[in-house]
Amino acid sequence: MTQAAAAPKSTGASMAKYKAALRRAIRRNYHEPEINFLNITAMLDIMTIILVFLLKTLGESTASVPQSDDLKIPTSFITSQPSMEGVVVTVSKSQILVGDDKVMTLPGRQSLAQSGVGAQYKRSGPNDLYIVPLGNALQAARKTDKLVRQAKGQDASMSEAIIIADNTTPYRLFIEVLFTLGQNEFGKYHLMVMQKKKGTG
Amino acid sequence: MAEDKLSTAQVARIRRLSQPKELTPDEEGGELNIVPFLDIITNILIFVLATISVTFTATIETQPPASGGSGVRKEIESKALNLTVLVGDFGFSIKASGGNVAEGCSGVGPGVAIPMKGGQLDYDALTDCAAKLKGSSSDFADETQVYISANPGTDYQTLISTIDALRSTRQGDPLFTDVNFKVAK
Repeated sequence: MTQAAAAPKSTGASMAKYKAALRRAIRRNYHEPEINFLNITAMLDIMTIILVFLLKTLGESTASVPQSDDLKIPTSFITSQPSMEGVVVTVSKSQILVGDDKVMTLPGRQSLAQSGVGAQYKRSGPNDLYIVPLGNALQAARKTDKLVRQAKGQDASMSEAIIIADNTTPYRLFIEVLFTLGQNEFGKYHLMVMQKKKGTG
Repeated sequence: MAEDKLSTAQVARIRRLSQPKELTPDEEGGELNIVPFLDIITNILIFVLATISVTFTATIETQPPASGGSGVRKEIESKALNLTVLVGDFGFSIKASGGNVAEGCSGVGPGVAIPMKGGQLDYDALTDCAAKLKGSSSDFADETQVYISANPGTDYQTLISTIDALRSTRQGDPLFTDVNFKVAK
């Protein structure tokens, strides 16, 4: 508005009239500023939160089962929610793991189907179902889980196990793993499966 | 004395000064250009959603296996069906409190209750047989436990499919939802 002072005085209307006309013109031409960009900050916040939530949930859940040639979990029509409680025991085609720790390497499938993991890993011969290396690892896991359950105020008389086994695991090996778990005070098992819909084979 | 009318120069000046100011990009509030970031976030989000949609998992609850008919199995009343399914090389053998179920799931007798069909295990027939056995007496209506045993070489997927076949009827009514594994001596 300082430029208005520079209005010519010698000719035309008076300064007051000139300023009044200028104010009127400014009022007439004034309009609300257009929003020429979309404010997506709020949407971005929401999407970032959803993304972080999903990644965190997936990372923590047992649903993030790594699928590979060595471990393909079986499919089932069951629709229940996967249980998150328990020590994870993984039985792949080539090895057994407790948590992330490898316990032992498995022999070929033919041998597994006949006598399980082999007499050298058993407590008392090939017909025994107790797998000693797995039992040792489970004892340590049980101690930790017992303390955790006590701290949480849960029933510490037994632990739970989540069993993630390859779909070609022979029944003999499966039973040996269950038996060894049972001998180490694991009283409830959650067999991890992949959901499929009826009619998908 | 000033004139009443605005001069041409004054009118031109008023017109020029009254025009709304166009803001330069520097004066527009310093908005950060987050569109590329948003693109990346959207792509990751879609990828994550698409990925989890195919990896839904579930768990089947069970207990330590029983050996030779003993074990941790819950107390079952004497009038229980006491169903045991054996997955064998020739099909499903079924035992109940009355004895071995005969071929074709028709009464008591020797043989494989549900033989292979076209070289494959007949899960639909197993479901129908389990439903028939459970429906044979009102005493079995509340029974939900089943024992499953198998040949040593039976693969895990076959076991899970057998559990699926025994869990509910084809119409979705619950049959035997509590699974226990058995070790043949």
